[in-house]
Amino acid sequence: MLTTISLSLLVQALVNGLLLGLVYTLISLGLSLTLGIMGVVNVAHSTLIMLGSYLALELLQRLGLDPIISAVIAVPVFFLIGVLLERLLISHVARASQTTGLLVLFGVLVVIEGAAILRWTTDTQVLSVSYINASLTLAGIAIAVPRLIAAAIALVLVLLLDTFLRSTLYGKAIRAMAQNRDAARISGIDTDRLSLLVFGLATATAGVGGVVLAMIFPFDPQDHYRWLAWAFLVVVIGGLGSIRNTLLAGLLIGLIETVSSVLFPFQYVYFIVYLLLVVTLLVRGQGLAGSQSRAL
Amino acid sequence: MMRHAADVPAGSGSPSPNGLTSSANAGLSMRGVTAGYYSHDLVLNNVSLIARPGKVTVLLGPNGSGKSTALRVLYGLLRPRSGQILLDGREITTVPPQRRLALGMALLPQGRSVFPELTVQENLEIGGWLLGRDRRRLAAALEAVYARYPLLKEWRQKQAGGLSGGQQRLVEIGRMMVADPRVILIDEPSVGLAPVIVDQVYEEIARLKEEQRTILLVDQNVRAAVALADYVYTLEYGRNNLEGERGAFEDRLEALIKSWLRF
Repeated sequence: MLTTISLSLLVQALVNGLLLGLVYTLISLGLSLTLGIMGVVNVAHSTLIMLGSYLALELLQRLGLDPIISAVIAVPVFFLIGVLLERLLISHVARASQTTGLLVLFGVLVVIEGAAILRWTTDTQVLSVSYINASLTLAGIAIAVPRLIAAAIALVLVLLLDTFLRSTLYGKAIRAMAQNRDAARISGIDTDRLSLLVFGLATATAGVGGVVLAMIFPFDPQDHYRWLAWAFLVVVIGGLGSIRNTLLAGLLIGLIETVSSVLFPFQYVYFIVYLLLVVTLLVRGQGLAGSQSRAL
Repeated sequence: MMRHAADVPAGSGSPSPNGLTSSANAGLSMRGVTAGYYSHDLVLNNVSLIARPGKVTVLLGPNGSGKSTALRVLYGLLRPRSGQILLDGREITTVPPQRRLALGMALLPQGRSVFPELTVQENLEIGGWLLGRDRRRLAAALEAVYARYPLLKEWRQKQAGGLSGGQQRLVEIGRMMVADPRVILIDEPSVGLAPVIVDQVYEEIARLKEEQRTILLVDQNVRAAVALADYVYTLEYGRNNLEGERGAFEDRLEALIKSWLRF
């Protein structure tokens, strides 16, 4: 009896883990793109995710818009935010050392977080949509509807981005730029303009990622550090710039989180996930720089 | 006739006394260029040279004499601290590298420069980036390159990074030729390649010469380079040293190489 309960719990955990993993992939993609292609360590990435959550909240409370629609709206809005950030800030510090860029982006993090606290206070928020507690039962496994929708949106975006990078000439140019920036410039590619595109796309994924996270988890202006850690973990495990590897790493983190929460007491989950980070860094030996060599 | 740079007024703008062309403005030239990565460590010091139209100009010198830096400056990858770059008399000193291809220029960089995780075909497509919005012209340009280098067509679906060094060199040359450049800068074309491949690379450069393209070749393989040259410059310590037509250099190659080995 005990074994059948455990088994169904485990299957439940696997399904949940895969769904969660898709969302983790989405929130990590931008970090992987900016680091892998532009060499920018965007520590402000998670504050952009947090802004995405608040965009969904505002659109829901003011206009009654479903977060599914907010996810669509977030794409152009955050693309524009990313382009502005790149043009006004990143492009000026990109030529300086990576440390300078890191400090500047940490400044961006502090500013966005501070502004968010002023605007929305530190209260925890949830998106109270009608289906927030709905669930589907398939073959004895209960799947939370918001989680399913969030995962579906994430999957669509991941596939779209992968297709864009693989099949379009712009996508190939972005991959070329990641592999050899000078050779790309010699071939006539305006790498400065492509960097705008890359940062815009990366920020758009962060924004949509924030919308779908808000469908699953409560949020406040200060809990984004967890997502920053999660995103870095996915990037370190999956390597840089490759969407497929990021997807595999994201699914892995999702699975580890849900499965280990079935097998061990809750407080061990973070411990296990961070242990994984340490082990990966030790095995790779070169940390983030080590994964950089396999951009795309 | 071979002359010492001391005989030529530095940065005079017309270091072209040999009648290879009637116009001092045609071709690609650098005038009085001073450049370096740090202000206290200049790699080029008041260097002038001309790559004449339809000719092969060779730039020689020992390691660290500034040859490759000269190419970087000529292609806009490094901005000079002073001096000018001119293409057919028009100043292009500050034109960024990504706009040089549209001017009919191309650079074959030193070492491996394929996009390793793109296929051969995709590498060529990047070479045709400027035609990108015109799919038909891009397809025609790729077909022309495949006709010119049939091996590339065989490898088109392979990842460029999985090819041998010599094969990658051919991909690099093919990628450059998609744009059908008039003025070609070549940096150390034979470094790191097997001797058989080296011969093929120089045969290809000879073909580019026959096609009347303007070529500036930087090379450590002095004999092979001089054999192709119409005109030769040498640099020492980042300054113009000797210059002259090929004939003036052929007899002196041994002495020249020996003197550089003592550096």
